[in-house]
Amino acid sequence: MTRHFERELDDLKTNLIRMGNLVWEQLDAACRALFELDQGLALQVIQHDAEVDEFDTLIDRDCQRIFATTQPVAADLRLLMSALKINSQLERIGDIAVNVAERVEALQGHGDFLRNTRLKEMAEIARIMVHDSLDAFISGNSSLAARVLESDDVVDNLDRQIFHALLAEMCTDPHVVVPAAHIMILSRHLERLADHATNIAEDVIFLVKARLVKHNAYADRE
Amino acid sequence: MDTDAYKIQTRNLDLYYGTKQALRGVSIDIRPNRVTALIGPSGCGKSTYLRSLNRMNDLIDGVRIEGDVLIDDVNIYDKEVDVVELRKRVGMIFQKSNPFPKSVYDNVAYGPRINGIHERQKLDEIVERSLRRSALWDEVNDDLRKSALALSGGQQQRLCIARALAVDPEVLLMDEPASALDPIATAKIEELIYELKQNYTIVIVTHNMQQAARVSDYTAFFYMGQLIEYDETKKMFTTPEKKQTEEYITGRFG
Repeated sequence: MTRHFERELDDLKTNLIRMGNLVWEQLDAACRALFELDQGLALQVIQHDAEVDEFDTLIDRDCQRIFATTQPVAADLRLLMSALKINSQLERIGDIAVNVAERVEALQGHGDFLRNTRLKEMAEIARIMVHDSLDAFISGNSSLAARVLESDDVVDNLDRQIFHALLAEMCTDPHVVVPAAHIMILSRHLERLADHATNIAEDVIFLVKARLVKHNAYADRE
Repeated sequence: MDTDAYKIQTRNLDLYYGTKQALRGVSIDIRPNRVTALIGPSGCGKSTYLRSLNRMNDLIDGVRIEGDVLIDDVNIYDKEVDVVELRKRVGMIFQKSNPFPKSVYDNVAYGPRINGIHERQKLDEIVERSLRRSALWDEVNDDLRKSALALSGGQQQRLCIARALAVDPEVLLMDEPASALDPIATAKIEELIYELKQNYTIVIVTHNMQQAARVSDYTAFFYMGQLIEYDETKKMFTTPEKKQTEEYITGRFG
């Protein structure tokens, strides 16, 4: 009974890790497609999103079944609660990868303008946050998760800077309105990406340390 | 610490069955009008501890007890304490319901009659109040002369609770009161425990971890005669302090 239960939890964790890898690859490909303006790669990202959704459904069902049949407590309960929440964050990160990929077409011919913004820098930080939050989950490393939380402010600041810089450019040069508007939206997507990574990191701390950091962490940083 | 806040206090309780030590320095403070669950594997001492709270262990040959059990600040093992009076104040409900082979009415009236109450109207009142408090009244009031043995298992257990309530106790000790019952009868007993804590201090031994989590306010985890951890139930089942507690409640023991 116990071994069977532990196997179920291991399987759940394995599925989450596989989903995390898939989402990470999606995000990585979406960012490459964006900065290389590679429409073929962007299309692949859009097509592969169905696989992310399949994982989402699978993990939701597994969690529901384990909750219903085993009434988990203590660390097992935290793992299941975290699995549900991380699953939902990963699904949204997958959606953001698609959102980014969908803008590649609109930015064709605006490569130079894109490279002159700080969007790539922002994407890099957000990508590392997602990567580290997943690493923290896989290895149960709460200090790595804590570092992810610290990066969220950097991304928020970049989002604001990009917004104001683009706004200024749009005011002076109407020709840049189209790419600038798309990049503003991309910047907001990346800012959300960092939020999802932050949420995963908070769940990892809850899982490992049995400590809710959500609201305290935000209060500390504001 | 404010001792008024506790109904029962045990201090360094050691209990020996002959040479075998069953309880080792157990200290627990139990709050009034709360449900305290005792959990732990078979032979861990939880039932022994429960029975020590109304001196049921006195009936077993070769039992030796050291340490204090205070109820309302009086040590119940003092020589002056009247054990019959103590057991009136501290009632017990067992795993297997044990109604007398008498009518429903006579089962509930048994205790009060022994205590000298014979006036019919007074007994009627006690029987009705006790059966209402044990959530059995609606199911038996059409025929209180019916034999208690004709009731279902769950009804018999609630009758035993009514019988315990009839002598107006302050503390109810329950030794796996629902383990022989089906889920519906179990749910009724659990609901009843929840209601009863308004008026009584309840200590319950259960092997059913989820039952402990559902019905109790405080949980004590025993292992090999020792109290390992004692805390609020919500804490014990979410973030226990001790590794042994975590292993036990998550089913990874041993």
